[in-house]
Amino acid sequence: MGERWRAAVPSILSVALALVVCWIAIALTRDTEVASNAYLQMLYGGIGQWPRYLDGGDLAVIVRPLGEAASKAALLILTGLSVAVAFKAGLFNIGAQGQMVVGALAAAVVGAQLSAHALLHLPLALLAAAVAGALWALIAAALKLWRGVHEVISTIMLNWVAVTLVDNWLVVGPLRPTVTGGHSVSGTAEIFPTAHLPRLLGDISRMNLGFPMALAVAAFVWAWLIRTRRGFETRAAGLGPEAARAAGIPVKQRMAEAMGLAGALAGLAGAVLVLGTEFRYPGVLGAPYGFDGIAISLIGNNNPLGVTITALFFGALRAGGTRMQLLGVHKSFPELIQGLALLFVAGRLVWLALLRRRRTQPASAEVPRA
Amino acid sequence: MSLEIRAGELLALVGENGAGKSSLMNVLYGLYHPDEGDILLDGQPVRFKSPRDAIARGIGMVHQHFMLVPTLTVAENVVLGREPTRWGRLDLERACAEVTATCQRFGFQLDPRARVDTLTVGSQQKVEIVKALHRGAKVLILDEPTAVLTPQEAEDLFRVARGLKEQGHTVVFISHKLREVLSVAERIAVMRRGALVAEVKAAETHVAELANLMVGESRPGQGTVEPYQPPTGEVLLEALALKALGEDGRAVLDGVTLTVHAGEIVGIAGVDGNGQRELAEVITGLRPLAEGQGTLLNRPLSALSPDEARRRGVSHVPEDRLRRAVVKDMSVEENMALGRQGHPPFARGPWLDFAGRRERTQKLLGAYDVRPPDPLLPVQALSGGNQQKVVVARELDSQPKLLVVVQPTRGLDISAVAQVHARLREERARGVGVLLISLDLEEVLTMSDRVYVLFEGKVTGTFTRPEFDEREIGRRMTCAEPAHG
Repeated sequence: MGERWRAAVPSILSVALALVVCWIAIALTRDTEVASNAYLQMLYGGIGQWPRYLDGGDLAVIVRPLGEAASKAALLILTGLSVAVAFKAGLFNIGAQGQMVVGALAAAVVGAQLSAHALLHLPLALLAAAVAGALWALIAAALKLWRGVHEVISTIMLNWVAVTLVDNWLVVGPLRPTVTGGHSVSGTAEIFPTAHLPRLLGDISRMNLGFPMALAVAAFVWAWLIRTRRGFETRAAGLGPEAARAAGIPVKQRMAEAMGLAGALAGLAGAVLVLGTEFRYPGVLGAPYGFDGIAISLIGNNNPLGVTITALFFGALRAGGTRMQLLGVHKSFPELIQGLALLFVAGRLVWLALLRRRRTQPASAEVPRA
Repeated sequence: MSLEIRAGELLALVGENGAGKSSLMNVLYGLYHPDEGDILLDGQPVRFKSPRDAIARGIGMVHQHFMLVPTLTVAENVVLGREPTRWGRLDLERACAEVTATCQRFGFQLDPRARVDTLTVGSQQKVEIVKALHRGAKVLILDEPTAVLTPQEAEDLFRVARGLKEQGHTVVFISHKLREVLSVAERIAVMRRGALVAEVKAAETHVAELANLMVGESRPGQGTVEPYQPPTGEVLLEALALKALGEDGRAVLDGVTLTVHAGEIVGIAGVDGNGQRELAEVITGLRPLAEGQGTLLNRPLSALSPDEARRRGVSHVPEDRLRRAVVKDMSVEENMALGRQGHPPFARGPWLDFAGRRERTQKLLGAYDVRPPDPLLPVQALSGGNQQKVVVARELDSQPKLLVVVQPTRGLDISAVAQVHARLREERARGVGVLLISLDLEEVLTMSDRVYVLFEGKVTGTFTRPEFDEREIGRRMTCAEPAHG
C-alpha cells in the first residue's frame, strides 16, 4: 500500500501545481477574488452545492452536479483505460479519438437501424461499438506487428481517417436521415429508445448506466492486468519484449490483444456518448475525449485504479467548469488544468529518470554498502 | 582505503565482485568523487571533477566494455574529442599520421584507416589503449582486460603491458583471474569489501594464497580434476549440419553438428561472435533454423518456438541478462514466474497464484542466497550477481532435461561463480544435459566433459576431457585449420 501511495504522489503534486498555476492565470487576467470564486463555483459544479443543501436546499443541488460529473467521468474512464491498456503492452495509443468516433458511429447505426427488445438492443449497440473500435485499433496493431509501422504514426493518421470518413462523408452522406417534415437535422437518425442507456436519477440528472458500466469495465481491466496470467504476459511483453519472447510468451499476440482491447474501450466511450446523451451521431463529435484519455492515462500512472481516480477528478472539474462562466471565466479552464497537470507529470518523469540514473550508477558498479 | 601506485610498475588489483575495485579506479579516473580522503598525484593533492581532468593529468582507462564508435575508423576513434582540424573541419590526413606515430612509438600494429567494427576484440582493445596513450596517459587502468580475449590475445596484451612499463608507464590491471595476474603483474593489491587487505609481490605468492586473501577464508581448491567418463546417457540433443542466418543474412552457423547426452556438460569454446550465441538461440527456439536438422528431446529441432522448447524441458540462461533473461522493471517474484507463469505454483487456471508465487520465490531466494531476499524489489535494483542468481534459480527450478547456459558467471564474484558451477554439476549428476557456452576458456575447460570449438560458425575442433589442451583449443578458436606437426 505504501508503495502504491508513493507512486501516486508525483501525480497528486502535479495536479495541485496545475491548480495553483491556473488560479494565478485567472487572478492575473481578472483579480484574485474572481479566481477564488471561480474555483469555488467549479467545486460546486463538480461535487454539488453542499452549503446550500445543508441550509435546507433541494437535494438536486448536489445530485445534479454529481450526475453531470459522473457522466463526464464515465467517458474519461473509458478513453483513459484505452490508452493505459495499450501502454501496458508497450504501445502508445494516440488513436483513442478515432476509435471512439468509429465506435460512436457503430452504436448510432445499430441503435437507429435495428429494432429489437431493450434487453437485446442495448447490448448489441454496445457490442457493435466495441467491435468497431477494436477493429479500428487492430489496423494499427497489424501495421505495427507485421510491417513495423510505429503505432504513434499510424494511430494519429487513423484518427484523421476516422474523422474524415465519418464526419465528412458517412454522416452527411449515406447515413443522413431521411428528411421528414421539411426541416433537416444534423447527424444520423435518432436511435430507438430501446437502445438508450437508461438514466439512473430520473429527470434530475443526465447520469446514465454508462457510469456504473465504466466503473465495472475499469474493475475488469484491473483484474485482467493484475490478476490473470494473460495480463501478466501482456505486462511482461510491454516491459521487456525480448525477455518475454525468451520466456515463451507470444509477444505479438499479446500486443495485438491489448491493442484490440484498447480500441474496444475507446469504442465503448463512443457508445456511451451516443446511447447515453446524444441519442444520435451528432454532426460533429464534440469533445475530444479520446485525446483527453492520453492525459488521464498518464496522470493516472497508466494504472486502472489511478486512471479511474484521475477521470473522476477531472470529470468533476469539467462539470464544474461550466459554472465558472457565471463569473465570466472561460469554461475551458478545467482543460487547461488537465493540460498543465499532464505537462508536470511528464516533467516529473524526466526528473525521476535523471534522479534514478544518478542513484543507480554506483549500484551498477556493485559498491558494497557498508 | 589507501593505495600507492608507483611510476613504471605493473600493478594488479584483485578482489571479488563488489569488493570495490572498479569503484576505486572510477574514483581515480574522476567518474566518482570520494566522500573522504585525497588523491595525491606526484605528491600534490588533486581533485578530479570528471574524467576530463583525469585524462589531463595523464590517467587513462580502458573499460571492460569498450567505448568505441564501431562505424568509425581506428584513427577517428583515437582522436575523438580532440580532433585535429583544418578550417574547422576534421583533418583526417593529420589524424591518421598522428595515430600512426603513436602506434609506432609504442609498438602497436594497427591500420588507422580500418573501421573498428571490422577488427577483432583484441585489436579493438589495442585501439582503446592507443586512444589513452594518444591523450598522453602515463598511468593506464585496464578493467578486466582479458575477459573477452583468447589466450593468445591475452598474452599479446601482456607483452604490450610489459613494453609500456619499459617506457616508464604505469599499468594497473583490474582482474579476478588470478593465474593471469600472477603471470603479468609485479605487485598485487588485494581488495575485500571496499578495503585493501594485502599487497603482495607476484614472485612471492601463489594462486591459493591470493584466493584466500580475496575471499577471506580458506576454501577448497576449485581446480579439482574429475575423472572423465564417456557419456552413456540418452541423447538429448542431436544436431546435424545446422545453419542459421544472422540479421544481415550472413550465415552465423554453418554446418554445426553436435550431440549432448543426458548427464554430461558439453562446453562450447570460442571467441566472442563466432556463432555461440546463435547456437543457443537455435536450440531454445529463439532463432529459426535455415538449414540442417536435428532432434531435441525426441522431437524435431526445426520449427521450434521458445514456448515449445520450454515445454520439452529446455531451460535457458541467456547471455544478455537485462534484455533477455529478466524484465528489469518487474519484481523479483514476477521474474521468478517468467516462463512458467501458466503453471503451478505460479498460476491456478487463468488466474495468477500470488501466495504460491511468493512462497516459491522466498524458498528460492533463500536457497540461492540472493541479497536482499525481497521478492517485491524490482529486479533492476539487485546487483548483477544477484540478478544472475535469480535467473539460475528460476531456470533450474523448472526441472529441465536440457540446460542451455550462456556466460553463466560473467560479472559474478568467486563465491557466486563457485555456487553456479556447483549447481551445474549437481544438475549433471541428476542426469541433466548441460550445454555450457562461455567466452571464458578456463570456465569451459574446468566444467566440461566434452568441448566443441566454434570458429566463424563452424565446429573446428572436438575435445574430450582427457585431451584438453589449452593451446591447441586456443588455436582452433582463432583459425579453422588445425595445426599440423
